[in-house]
Amino acid sequence: MPEIRIQPSGKIYRYEAEGSLLEILLAQKIFVDNPCNGKGVCGKCRVRIVSGEVPDVTETEKKLLGKEELEEGIRLSCLVKPEHDLVIELLEKERKGKVLTEGYVPEFYFDPDVKKKTVEIRKPTLSDQTPYEDQIREQTGARHIAYSVLRDHSFVPGVQTAVLYKDEVIRIEEGDTTDHLCGVAIDIGTTTVVCSLVDITSGKEITNASMINAQKHFGLDVLTRITYELEHPEDGIEQLQKAIVDSINEMIGEICRKAGIAIESVYEITVGANCTMMHMLLGVDATSIGKAPYAPMFVKARELDAKEIGIHAAECARVYCLPSVSSYIGADIVAGAYVCQLKKETGNVLFIDIGTNGEIVLSKGGKLLSCSCAAGPALEGMNISSGMRAADGAIEDVKITEHGVELTVIGGEQPAGICGSGILAVVKELLRHGIVTKSGAFIKKKKLDESDYRYDMIQMNGIKREFIMTNEQKKLLITQGDVRQVQLAKGAILSGFTALLEKAGIEMKDLNKVMIAGQFGAHLPADSLTGTGILPKEVEDKLVYVGNSSKTGAYMALMSGTVKKEMEELAKEMDYMELGATEGYERLFSDCLLFPEV
Amino acid sequence: MAKSKEELLEQLSDCVLEMEEEDVVDVATEYLEAGYPVLDGIMEGLVDGMNRASVLYDEEEYFVTDLLLCSDAMYAGLDILKPHLPADDSAQEKPKAIIGVVEGDTHDIGKNLVKIMMDTAGFEMYDLGRDVPLDAFVDKAVEVGATLICMSTLMTTTMGGMKTVIDMLKERGIRDRFKVMIGGSPISQKYCDEIGADCYTGNAVDAVKAAKKLAGIA
Repeated sequence: MPEIRIQPSGKIYRYEAEGSLLEILLAQKIFVDNPCNGKGVCGKCRVRIVSGEVPDVTETEKKLLGKEELEEGIRLSCLVKPEHDLVIELLEKERKGKVLTEGYVPEFYFDPDVKKKTVEIRKPTLSDQTPYEDQIREQTGARHIAYSVLRDHSFVPGVQTAVLYKDEVIRIEEGDTTDHLCGVAIDIGTTTVVCSLVDITSGKEITNASMINAQKHFGLDVLTRITYELEHPEDGIEQLQKAIVDSINEMIGEICRKAGIAIESVYEITVGANCTMMHMLLGVDATSIGKAPYAPMFVKARELDAKEIGIHAAECARVYCLPSVSSYIGADIVAGAYVCQLKKETGNVLFIDIGTNGEIVLSKGGKLLSCSCAAGPALEGMNISSGMRAADGAIEDVKITEHGVELTVIGGEQPAGICGSGILAVVKELLRHGIVTKSGAFIKKKKLDESDYRYDMIQMNGIKREFIMTNEQKKLLITQGDVRQVQLAKGAILSGFTALLEKAGIEMKDLNKVMIAGQFGAHLPADSLTGTGILPKEVEDKLVYVGNSSKTGAYMALMSGTVKKEMEELAKEMDYMELGATEGYERLFSDCLLFPEV
Repeated sequence: MAKSKEELLEQLSDCVLEMEEEDVVDVATEYLEAGYPVLDGIMEGLVDGMNRASVLYDEEEYFVTDLLLCSDAMYAGLDILKPHLPADDSAQEKPKAIIGVVEGDTHDIGKNLVKIMMDTAGFEMYDLGRDVPLDAFVDKAVEVGATLICMSTLMTTTMGGMKTVIDMLKERGIRDRFKVMIGGSPISQKYCDEIGADCYTGNAVDAVKAAKKLAGIA
């Protein structure tokens, strides 16, 4: 059998010498742009023949390719029938790899479920009465033609563009519209929603937008929103759905305007979200998630028409919701585990998404075990006496020295409060200077000499001790209660971490890598995470930040039907461990509350 | 030379306060061997240590974890002393309290702490555990003739169950027979008033103080 070597990857494939180069490549799941499905019409399935013997250039290629291109050895793969060993180069449109601007994206091949192909509808004659439907089917290779396509069109000859979703033609557009093919990848966080507008033809993220989840009016956390549903049986579910759908519509409108693209060019929307957000997006009752035994209505991936849930995009646009594992291991985490390729790991890797709920996935040589722990909102600056969101005026870093307290403030302004990264930093510093002990209590002021640099940093509020961050303009304090909130969050996350390792029978030192996901986690430096003991010291140099892997997962699903199937498999294979039901959990949690020894 | 009773009581108390789960066993054994009254050893030694720990908890010096560790030490000491308690001392009638986490919630660390503290304070505790079916609170309270019904939850989604229990008591016409205490992070005095519970407290130490007041043993 002859071989094809592909550049730049260097991969080699053996092939049967029959059929076109395009067919051979597609059979190997190597994506080559082919809107006309190998008819020799569109001129887009270009490859460069680097070396090897191939048949002569056809007349069609001379028409569709420029002189320069022909001289460089560029050919249309649908018109080349190779029989010998070849080296080829996939051109720009081959679209493999990292085009998302932020975050970690593994290599994968693009084979989006939504595609466009041009068709040329022939004028029927008495001797050729081939129905319109069959002409489309023949030219696109689709198996089904949606009813709406027949209902909305007349038998008009000429060039038209078929929009395919998997093997079904879901829409026909006049003329060649193959240049307009976009999708939107969304991450719905309980706090923040992020949308990316993606050019499906190139895989490029054109632009993105983010906003606060409008459901915040119904409560900041998942449970409060579920309680809203419980307390408003008439229309609670509908109101929550409307809030998130309105937000999504607003953002799709915004990113399309920014990019100068009509919303009608958006054909697919993929969504990564936690299980509750997914229920609420689809208007499915989420109340069972909020009560033991925490069984959700659904976890599987779902496909539906965008208009069914009121999302404005192309008339025929589809929505794909990524699969979840359980109520508290949602599609956002499945996406993360997929993006981080945990299943392909040969070593021991821990994936952790730090937020109000901390979700943790352990991969032991590709076998996945997950758990979720209620960390509370302290790490995001909530429930903290001087807490605020990461915005201008928020203290984001704190250093304590013998000469005083140094604050880094977002926007360089006067400090107005402290955000999550600042809280971790200050607790780390308090521990490092022995102002807070291992048990989490402030040191007694009377134990310090008045000349000690720490003496004036502590003030008494009745019998309670407080740390003074700044005394200028606005007095900002860290109270004992604040330290306790951080301690609870830390205990929850570390105990989940430890329970997973115990269950898998491995030790901290056996971990090869710890991957930190989430926008919030991205702002937490390693020394804060280990300095406060959220993560043990042993893993300090094994941390990898992967960014918003939920959005990345949605993006990958948008760009590849294979990815969707693999994620669905992955969700089924991920084991879930209910921490509360674990023997001795209370004791583990309380051990994990202790801060690390300095 | 044998240590004085006061000296040993102080050591028992300190062991609990300082979470010395192993040392407390030695001191308790020494106390027994010296032949001092067992009940005093429990009340003025071990329980005193636990009470001192609650004061530190109140002052935010001690945290949930610390109290749990102190209670470990206390129970280790109790294991030694209790079997030697004279029959008439142990048969003393104690007020009874039902405690549990309401149906739909499995978070029970707070409840466990309240249980320990109330146990220490001299209540006979009936712990129904977590995710407790709501009518079980009522049934058990009737069965044992409890003074108090204590309910806890961490989740807003399940707090409605507390109202249901109170409504059940009313329906059965036995609301007056029990005092109902509630707690947990989403619970507030406002909610307590709304559903007609008798008492809400924000932490385990306050819960014990309130329970003693309600049971008339303060």
